[in-house]
Amino acid sequence: MPGRKKGLTIFLLILPFLVFLFSLYIGTTPISPSLLFKTLLSPLVSSWKASLPESVYDIVFAIRLPRLLLALAVGAALSVSGAALQALFKNPLVNEYILGISSGAAFGAALSFVVLGSRVPPQILAFVFAVLAVGLVLLIARRSDSPIVSILLTGVIVSAFFSALLSLVEYFASPYSLQALFFWLMGNLWKAGWTDLAISLPIIGAGVAVLVLMRWRFNVLSMSDEEARSLGVRIRREKLIVLATATLITAAATAVAGIIGWIGLIVPHLVRMIVGVDNRRVLPLSAALGATVLLIADDIARSLASFEVPVGIFTSIIGIPLFIILLRRAAKVWR
Amino acid sequence: MPQTKLIYRRLLKITAFAGLLGFANLRPGQTAIVVTDSLGREVALPRQAKRVLSLQPEITRLIVALGAGDRLVGIDFFLRTHDHLFKIVYPGQERLPLVSMANYSVNMEVLTGLAPDVIFGAPEDPNVIAALETKTRVPVAAFSSMGRFDNLLDELRLVGRILGRDDRAAELAAAFRNHMAALKARLADIPPSGKPKVFLSFWNVFTNTPVAYEPVDAAGGVNVAEGLLPSFAGTLNAVVPVEQVLRWAPDIILLQGNYPPDRRTVTVAAALADRRLASLRAVKGKRVHYTFGFWNWWDFALAMVETSYLAKLFYPDRFTDVDLAAEGNAIFKMVYGIENGYSALCRIIRCDEWVHAR
Amino acid sequence: MSLLVRDLAFRYRDFELRIPDLALESAGLTAIVGPNGAGKTTFLKCLGGLLPVPRGAVRLDGRDLAALNEPERARLLAFVPQEHSASFNYTVLDFVLMGRTAYLPLFAPPSAEDVRIAEEALVFVGCAAFAARPHFQLSSGERRLILIARALAQRTGVLILDEPTTFLDPRHETEVMEIARKLAVEERKTVLMTLHNLDMAVRYADTMVFMKQGGLVAHGRPGEILTEELLARVYDIPMRLLEIEGRTFILR
Repeated sequence: MPGRKKGLTIFLLILPFLVFLFSLYIGTTPISPSLLFKTLLSPLVSSWKASLPESVYDIVFAIRLPRLLLALAVGAALSVSGAALQALFKNPLVNEYILGISSGAAFGAALSFVVLGSRVPPQILAFVFAVLAVGLVLLIARRSDSPIVSILLTGVIVSAFFSALLSLVEYFASPYSLQALFFWLMGNLWKAGWTDLAISLPIIGAGVAVLVLMRWRFNVLSMSDEEARSLGVRIRREKLIVLATATLITAAATAVAGIIGWIGLIVPHLVRMIVGVDNRRVLPLSAALGATVLLIADDIARSLASFEVPVGIFTSIIGIPLFIILLRRAAKVWR
Repeated sequence: MPQTKLIYRRLLKITAFAGLLGFANLRPGQTAIVVTDSLGREVALPRQAKRVLSLQPEITRLIVALGAGDRLVGIDFFLRTHDHLFKIVYPGQERLPLVSMANYSVNMEVLTGLAPDVIFGAPEDPNVIAALETKTRVPVAAFSSMGRFDNLLDELRLVGRILGRDDRAAELAAAFRNHMAALKARLADIPPSGKPKVFLSFWNVFTNTPVAYEPVDAAGGVNVAEGLLPSFAGTLNAVVPVEQVLRWAPDIILLQGNYPPDRRTVTVAAALADRRLASLRAVKGKRVHYTFGFWNWWDFALAMVETSYLAKLFYPDRFTDVDLAAEGNAIFKMVYGIENGYSALCRIIRCDEWVHAR
Repeated sequence: MSLLVRDLAFRYRDFELRIPDLALESAGLTAIVGPNGAGKTTFLKCLGGLLPVPRGAVRLDGRDLAALNEPERARLLAFVPQEHSASFNYTVLDFVLMGRTAYLPLFAPPSAEDVRIAEEALVFVGCAAFAARPHFQLSSGERRLILIARALAQRTGVLILDEPTTFLDPRHETEVMEIARKLAVEERKTVLMTLHNLDMAVRYADTMVFMKQGGLVAHGRPGEILTEELLARVYDIPMRLLEIEGRTFILR
């Protein structure tokens, strides 16, 4: 059994790379594997670069590559965040948006599209308000000493607050700003560019690294606060580190990709069902599987029809039935 | 005697209809026109309507064009708040009470207080239509051209009939047809291969393109997205992958420009700087321009201006004699009776800065 | 390791705990007994650092408990809770491994040495066979044992157990008490526990502490302080002491 688990672990870890290579091949314009290979290496071999049909270079480097990398980063960020928060809140039904990140980000984007006419890019405002929302939750929940429940409840309230603000902004929006906002809200990677990557990748990379390094600690943090404290955990400090990191990476991911639901909830669950609940495995494999899942979802979303399906809709459509199936098998893994 | 029998029978038919549809509120002496609206509903609309409420901007604009703006009793949210052009063509709209809200819901109290004879609604909101039908006794018809010129002309004719402005409607329709015919004549000798391929980017998202846009066809261009399945049911929007745009390899890219410049999110500068589009012929040749586009479907005058603008854009050599500003103002004067309407529009959206829009 | 209590006061809604002076026996087993609501668990939690105590009220080998941070404290004393509600179905070994937390920095997973210590702890409580089993599958008796094993993995001088024998059948009850006794005698740990079962307390404890209504009534060796009068005073019902085969039994 341990051998099999180890095999699965290794497989899940290399899966994102394999899917990445395959995804380079997918797209509206057919590019043969040999041409693809040439194109990828062309920055190093200038003679090859000259011989390429012009649009192929742009398709690979300006369109596909950033989009795929963003899918990997966002998928990993959301899943690791979800896994971390599930351990922290001792509840596998928690998702990474539970502290109000999605509502805050949506409101920030709305402000950008509707009020500021995109003078400030939606990514920045989405990030700022996502972090603000969580900050608000922590500030309010600080009062009460009964931490977990009150944080969750405050998260619900703050989410509702920002949703209400969002509705207000939408009410006064011209139908044309609404279009852009609506599209953003549904979660999509079509706009992925190197700038988005350059800004979000360091944040996501650092944050994911922190959470993955802390992976064993999550086992202990998933005990009750009292027990964790008696085992030697500095609860306040460590919780803050986890919350802050998870928030930053989720906010960064949501800022560049919109709201993509269900990944942070389902992927850690899937991982637990495959390799067990030990967070030493769950955290890194959530990152790997999350990256893979989002990449596959995006591949399907952009090649399904002549038009683009926003990937966020897609993850919901697949995620919800999958969740129902998982729920029935969940008793094995949690209580 | 057979004549009376005919009239009697016709009256019977009409009252039967009215009875069936519950339109017992038709004023005595009014006769009705039975139409099938865009939602497939059969409605009996009164002739010579004196008090008209239109919740559909396109129809409102037609009413103003027909010279019957004084019969409007109320105005919808979109025209009041978001349509800069309408404020130019009909300054009198300020006196009109606001009847609908941002979420397209209708203020029933205000509406009933206004006592309209007929209400025009938008097919996009069947709930509103249904609500109006049940709550008021006023005939409600939902119309939209969905961007098609022949539908637009049909609407024009119908609204003319209802308002008793048939002549004026005919006059406008003739002007429209002549305009399009003249254009067609000047472009008649261009073979299909000689027509520029055009990619249209509307609605604030670069890859959001209309699957049908007649001005492009009328101006001798080809819409690359023509015939595509729309992404959203009941609209003309299709959101395509960027790679698809590359695959189409358009000669010209047109961005919707009918917003004040500080509200534009999709700009020519951004498109020209976008690395992903760099290999496109249109980008390399800097043939990325703004165009007027839809604005809650058509404005009658703007539709004509748009076709001229595009014709001049696509075939500058053929249309050197066309002075867009002068022609634009003339069209607006003919349709709405206002001076310098086109120039006023250009001041807001800076269309004088667009190529050829001089 | 010596555990000294001086002027410990804790307030909790309408309840007040006051322990003026108490020295708890090192390398021995102390049983804290008393009626419900006496404050036994509160006292235990204060000792275990789970409830805030005033400075200087509790001293471990001279060190002020209130001045220690969580990892420092967890290396000195281990707390075994009465109930454990888990959300995730860890294996028994992974569960016991958590006892090593206090020795691990934030970003480090347990080393092979930590795993060995955890395995040793499992052997001590006799649960080595379950190491790979998911802990939801254990009976409540077995679960109690692995809670103790986890506390053992902490390698502390003091072990505090909250009602370790409640809900256990006689066999498991005895098992737990034997282990506790072994820890006090062989491993020379200071073992503290609250008990309802007076017979067990009398049999296994080196010292007994009687509490009532948030205060101390008596403490000392069972042989010295145990009288029917004391029992009646503490429990408010008449009790009888019985000697059979050299062992003391308490009858109601």
